[in-house]
Amino acid sequence: MDDKTRLDLYRVMVLSRTYEEAILRDYHADKKPAWDIGAGLLPGEMHLSAGQEPVAAGVCAHLRTDDAVTATHRPHHIAIAHGVDLDKMTAEIFGRVDGLGRGRGGHMHLFDPHTHFSCSGIIAEGLPPALGQAFAFKRRPGNRVAVAFTGEGAANQGAFHESLNLAARWNLPVVFVVEDNDWAISVPRDVSTAISSNADRAAAYGIPGQRIEDNDVEAVYTAAGDAVARARAGEGPTLLEVHTLRLWGHFEGDAQGYRPELADVPGHDPIPAYEHRLTQAGILDAAAVKTIKDEASARVEKAFAFAKASPVPAPETALDYVFA
Amino acid sequence: MSATDTTATAAGAPAARRLTTARALAEGIGQEMERDDNVVVLGEDIGAYGGIFGSTGGLLEKFGPERVLDTPISETAFIGLGIGAAVEGMRPIVELMFVDFFGVAMDQIYNHMAKIHFESGGNVKVPMVLMTATGGGYGDAEQHSQCLWGTFAHLPGMKVVVPSNPADAKGLMIAAIRDDNPVVYMFHKGIMGLPWMAKNPRSVAHVPEEAYETPIGKAAVVRPGKDATVVTLSLSVHHALDVAEKLAPDGVDLEVIDLRSLVPLDTATILSSVAKTGRLLIVDEDYQSFGLSGEIAARVVETDPGLLRAPLRRVAVPDVPIPYARSLERAVLPTPERIEAAVHDLVKA
Amino acid sequence: MAEVLFPQLSEREPDAEGVLATWFVGDGDQVASGQLIGEVMVEKVSGEVLAPTAGQVHLLVGEDQTARQGEVIARVD
Repeated sequence: MDDKTRLDLYRVMVLSRTYEEAILRDYHADKKPAWDIGAGLLPGEMHLSAGQEPVAAGVCAHLRTDDAVTATHRPHHIAIAHGVDLDKMTAEIFGRVDGLGRGRGGHMHLFDPHTHFSCSGIIAEGLPPALGQAFAFKRRPGNRVAVAFTGEGAANQGAFHESLNLAARWNLPVVFVVEDNDWAISVPRDVSTAISSNADRAAAYGIPGQRIEDNDVEAVYTAAGDAVARARAGEGPTLLEVHTLRLWGHFEGDAQGYRPELADVPGHDPIPAYEHRLTQAGILDAAAVKTIKDEASARVEKAFAFAKASPVPAPETALDYVFA
Repeated sequence: MSATDTTATAAGAPAARRLTTARALAEGIGQEMERDDNVVVLGEDIGAYGGIFGSTGGLLEKFGPERVLDTPISETAFIGLGIGAAVEGMRPIVELMFVDFFGVAMDQIYNHMAKIHFESGGNVKVPMVLMTATGGGYGDAEQHSQCLWGTFAHLPGMKVVVPSNPADAKGLMIAAIRDDNPVVYMFHKGIMGLPWMAKNPRSVAHVPEEAYETPIGKAAVVRPGKDATVVTLSLSVHHALDVAEKLAPDGVDLEVIDLRSLVPLDTATILSSVAKTGRLLIVDEDYQSFGLSGEIAARVVETDPGLLRAPLRRVAVPDVPIPYARSLERAVLPTPERIEAAVHDLVKA
Repeated sequence: MAEVLFPQLSEREPDAEGVLATWFVGDGDQVASGQLIGEVMVEKVSGEVLAPTAGQVHLLVGEDQTARQGEVIARVD
């Protein structure tokens, strides 16, 4: 891997984390004194991706704007890595009219036709539409692919198995990426899943499967590169599983009393680890890190300012957009 | 109107062409597939078999396996695939073999197909047709005889159309394919004119040869009358017309409205008829409570309860699963006998 | 004058009886050559009846009546 690629991976991860930290601050700021989920500028559930940046960065580095991505209820890192417009995404998360969905969708329902990005809040249900996007791409000139992200908990949902079988049977240009962050809300993988690696499920559908350990962004990058290349070459789907890390709760407000190793978790943060690795390799130094972090902060601030300046949708428009 | 009625034109010219509903539906799909390469059909047994209820007969032969695709038994996956393809600009027609199977895939239908346009603030369209077979009367029991259009109509974001006859079946399918919204197209097995199921003669009728659209959201007054309004849909239209013909010599003049679409619902046509007759009978083969018949009643009464000169009546499937034994099945379906009895009560009141 | 025969749908049982399921035309109608004029069934298999020539059709078997494969079910003259 060349230095530029490695730096780009680091940069994307820093931008994503900076973003999630900003959401975290604003989300909690006005829900006091007693935490009220429906209060403040960002009501509702919030599922943040801190710790899972390596998956998004390593996979999306291989994608073009016209490749499709479907993501989950925890979508921000993937949207950022795939190049979704940060201003409009933020406005949507804040429920404003200049948002991607004109404020109708919110954080779990981000749709960006420009980057063929979508996400939804129903477990595993982003996989079938990704098949459809791949199906459309296959019939057209070019070698576009669809990538469907999902979680290790979702790998036990019917939609997961149906999708793998159909994608394999129809040889669709799709890559399935399972983010194994160990926890399906409060239920660990070894309680929910009969086998130890979802990558082993790939064999059941006759497709290649690979598990990447240690939340290693470069290992993700390499594996994803192979999988995306296979799909572009018409060789069909691949299943990747990345053992990643959910640094924070399932949703904001999750006290995580069920998580015994909680105190150890920050020590496994992938971004400082990668920063250290690149510094050791002479690719980063303190000044470069500061520049990258400052640029990320500035970009995020601009997006938040855009969002907060955007109007709240008028109640009279509540029935608009049901039908085209 | 008998099965052998024709509208013969000038001597030497072929009589107006008649088709079964199934063939008309397949013809509509085929004409749109000729016009637009983006139209494809997928579902279980829709290829060589031509659809279990004949909806895709002849299409595989004409368009090949790249455009007419048999799927595995994976409704969530292939309905979702239809959604993704539609999002990318294709116009897929996806068949859900029996509407009763919606349970295994309802998330893709009501949480995805129906909501994407709204969630995206209108930025993403899902121009997809979900077609499905409904209805009972031939002994297929609880899990293969339901209508369920009330359930689909209740959930925002999808249009719902329910043809009753061959010409509307073709026109509504063409309109559904051309519509940029998700359209749930629900055809009753009993109107398809299948050779292997007893059929009402109205299942075979004249169908124009060219491609045409029947407007979605517009009901049809299929029999004008002055004594009472019968609002109905699907196979029940034929039963209502049979009853109307039977009672006409007795001086009961029924106006029969074929809804054709549930979403959007043509409230104006219903209200105009009820304003004229003052008496309303709703015939609906779906379950009685919390559904279509209650919705129609509410729309009339919330507009003006004074329109009704007598309490409205409804004939629907009482809130019971559809039984297997023929004697029981006939007791719960909205048969001509039940419709006639309801008409008598309505006009006497 | 052309005869319209009940299609041969079963090779296993060439003399098997079937049913005239649907006439798409009325007795005495004008038909075009190749026009779909009826649908038949033998057991579970259905088949199409096409007009062999253009002309006026005379139906010899009624709807829902049984007929044997190969039997003359209509004439066109």
